[in-house]
Amino acid sequence: MSVLNARNITKIFPGTVALDNVSMSFYSGKVNALVGKNGSGKSTLVKIINGAHDATNGSTDIDGREFRYTNPRQAFDDGIATVYQEMSLIPGLSVAENILVGRYRMNGPFVDWKNTFKDAAQLLETLGISLPLKELVTNLSVWQCQVVEIAKAMSVQPKVILLDEPTSALAQNETKLLFKLIRELTRKDVIIIYISHRLQELWEIADTASVLRDGKHVGTIEMEHATHKELLNLMFGNVEVKQRPADVIPDEKAVFEVKDLTREPAFRNISFALKKGEILGIAGMLGSGRTELLRAIFGADKLDSGVIKVNGQTIRSPDPVMMKRNGVAFIPEDRKNQGLIQILSIRSNLNHASLGRITRGLFVDASREKELALKQIEELSIKIPGDEYLMTSLSGGNQQKVVLGKWLNTEPQVLLFDELSRGIDVNAKQQIFQILWQLARQGLSSVVVSSELEELLEICNRVIIMRLGEFVDEVDPDRLTVEELYAECMGGSES
Amino acid sequence: MIDVQSKTDYGVTLSRFLKRYMMELILSLIVVVLIVTAPGFFTLRNILNIFRNVAITGVISFGMTMVIIGGEIDLSVGSSIALSAVITASVTGWLSQAGIMPMESAVFVGMICALVAGFLIGLSNGLIRTRFNIPTFIISLAMLYVVYGFSAIISRGFPVTTLPLWYNWIGAGRFFNLIPVPALWLLLAFILVYVIMNMTKLGREVYAVGGNEEAARLSGINVKAVKITIMVFVQVLAACSGIILSAQVMSGSSTFGRGYELEVIAAVIIGGVSLFGGIGKVWGTMIGIVFLGVINNGMTLFGVDDFQKYVVRGLLILFAVMLNTVQLESLGKTRKKDATAQ
Repeated sequence: MSVLNARNITKIFPGTVALDNVSMSFYSGKVNALVGKNGSGKSTLVKIINGAHDATNGSTDIDGREFRYTNPRQAFDDGIATVYQEMSLIPGLSVAENILVGRYRMNGPFVDWKNTFKDAAQLLETLGISLPLKELVTNLSVWQCQVVEIAKAMSVQPKVILLDEPTSALAQNETKLLFKLIRELTRKDVIIIYISHRLQELWEIADTASVLRDGKHVGTIEMEHATHKELLNLMFGNVEVKQRPADVIPDEKAVFEVKDLTREPAFRNISFALKKGEILGIAGMLGSGRTELLRAIFGADKLDSGVIKVNGQTIRSPDPVMMKRNGVAFIPEDRKNQGLIQILSIRSNLNHASLGRITRGLFVDASREKELALKQIEELSIKIPGDEYLMTSLSGGNQQKVVLGKWLNTEPQVLLFDELSRGIDVNAKQQIFQILWQLARQGLSSVVVSSELEELLEICNRVIIMRLGEFVDEVDPDRLTVEELYAECMGGSES
Repeated sequence: MIDVQSKTDYGVTLSRFLKRYMMELILSLIVVVLIVTAPGFFTLRNILNIFRNVAITGVISFGMTMVIIGGEIDLSVGSSIALSAVITASVTGWLSQAGIMPMESAVFVGMICALVAGFLIGLSNGLIRTRFNIPTFIISLAMLYVVYGFSAIISRGFPVTTLPLWYNWIGAGRFFNLIPVPALWLLLAFILVYVIMNMTKLGREVYAVGGNEEAARLSGINVKAVKITIMVFVQVLAACSGIILSAQVMSGSSTFGRGYELEVIAAVIIGGVSLFGGIGKVWGTMIGIVFLGVINNGMTLFGVDDFQKYVVRGLLILFAVMLNTVQLESLGKTRKKDATAQ
């Protein structure tokens, strides 16, 4: 049996302490879960173990032998393999080629395919996996890719294998199969570190769970004896949810309504009505269909069925052009790539959604274009040296504001906001909250999706809970704690 | 450009100026060298002739500028020149020989038919692009053959010369016995595209779509309509070029325009338009067009033989594009640095 120790790890990024004197041990033959909410520092710790980051302070060792890698490749060669959630496979190569990529058996200058395939077959056999070796990865399902990733990691006979949210893109039955495979790995004297924020699965797969909160190691529990309440307590501590201002109260009048929206397999039979000036939150775990729902309402993806009612009009197959015309705005999760055009100036980015409003007759009114850009820069206090600079010169929070500003220039009635605070710091987050409340007072209705549930409790008038593509409950944020909301989102048994 | 620097740094200003006007400076340098060394280069007539010579490809280059900024490409424009020329001459011939109208007016019908054909080619390119999501590189490559085939079928492989005398003015006339008419068409195309790209909603949309198609779509921009429009636009301009060329040589033939698509694209790229879309200026294309014209003219004056011209031209295109790539990259960097320094 071997053990990986992290001793007194501190990691300081400019402005934040990501890890604060963290000491943890992970044992072979067990599934060691590493949990914590977003931003708790779990991915930073993973990156320090696998060499992607360098710790500011502290040391790591396996069975007393210290190690410190400067890049993941070096760590991989030395037996610390990471399976990332974003796949690192080459789609145009076969399963066997992907598993052994860069380490083919050679025969002089040529690849010895016969023995390479034999190696791959042998490896899969010892792992108890059956996969067509010659199949191209592009033809595999997400779950099969995940398995190939794990096989690839196992092919170097690693001492440590880090699984970073391996189930986030999997369906339930696939998750079961993956767990079986992971269980199989525990017999192989390898230290398995399992990172997840799907708490309910920890009871199925993990032996222990080490919990990080705000960069600190707050405890390690044996899953066998742990209760939901215990784990949630560790993760969240006593969170105090800040109150939204008392004057953010919606009208009674509904301005926007969706009925029986379905897009298989992401979500089905979703209905809700949005009141004027209301901020509606949609809470759910990753994979619950919340992002897909928002995209489909805006027409970014197609709906299978259902109707949207806005402005007294009934829309069956929405598309972005039509939804914009009807006063709907959409801020996508991936702001950098889907919300903004990085190579263009801040001014043009602020006007992309509202080109109709700056056009007079045949021509664009350049002074009005500038005026609208400066208006948003001022009102959202976007920190930039000038509106002619490229988007790339802005920080995450400011980029976020530009996307918001772009849509406010269309004078929308309904704002669909995906992953409200993704990629922005605490101050920017508070500013965005203030802006949303101010807009709500002026009558703008919003639908907000966030993986940070406490933030939904803070800003929303009402929260709908989504699980596996369905609405399961509607709650009043004033009467619920974060832990309760978490439990609702995870669903399932109270053990 | 807002000046964010508290004190003027002349070194930075100068280097930024150099980077920004790199192609203009190189072009001026070449012109100066030619003025000193090439006999007969610096005469008004020769300069005007340069513009006449680049007009055929130049007119299309402006349309191609829109297409490439919009993130697409059209390789079929060379064939479209041939088809347009053949259609104009053939329709004129049929109408006049059938006695329906005299050649002098029949040629107008011919020209309209040619423009409609260009419109339809562009429309099919655009529709196939947006409907089936096939890259325009492939679509237009296939269309290059189809269109060439049609021009050969219509003309039966022979030059068609049924064109009225006055028509020659469009391609070979001179105002005041001096300024070539094709240079005017070039200027008109420049102004038209300049206005569209800088002063209209469509122009903003083309930059947005080329800069990031998904972000443009999610901003509620009608991406498909924009793509179809630019694909049609370049083809209509190619039809215009076909008309100018047929007027210049007073015939229409399926051999016209072969390989011109590459010349057109070269001018656009030399002018600093990014092949990845989203970046570029219409003025840059003008520089690119003139650059190619001046080089060609200079070599002719020096009596460089045609085969050697290809080598020189190819190398110069390569050199210009290398310079531009470096320039685009460093422009991005300096701007970024300025902004974060605040």
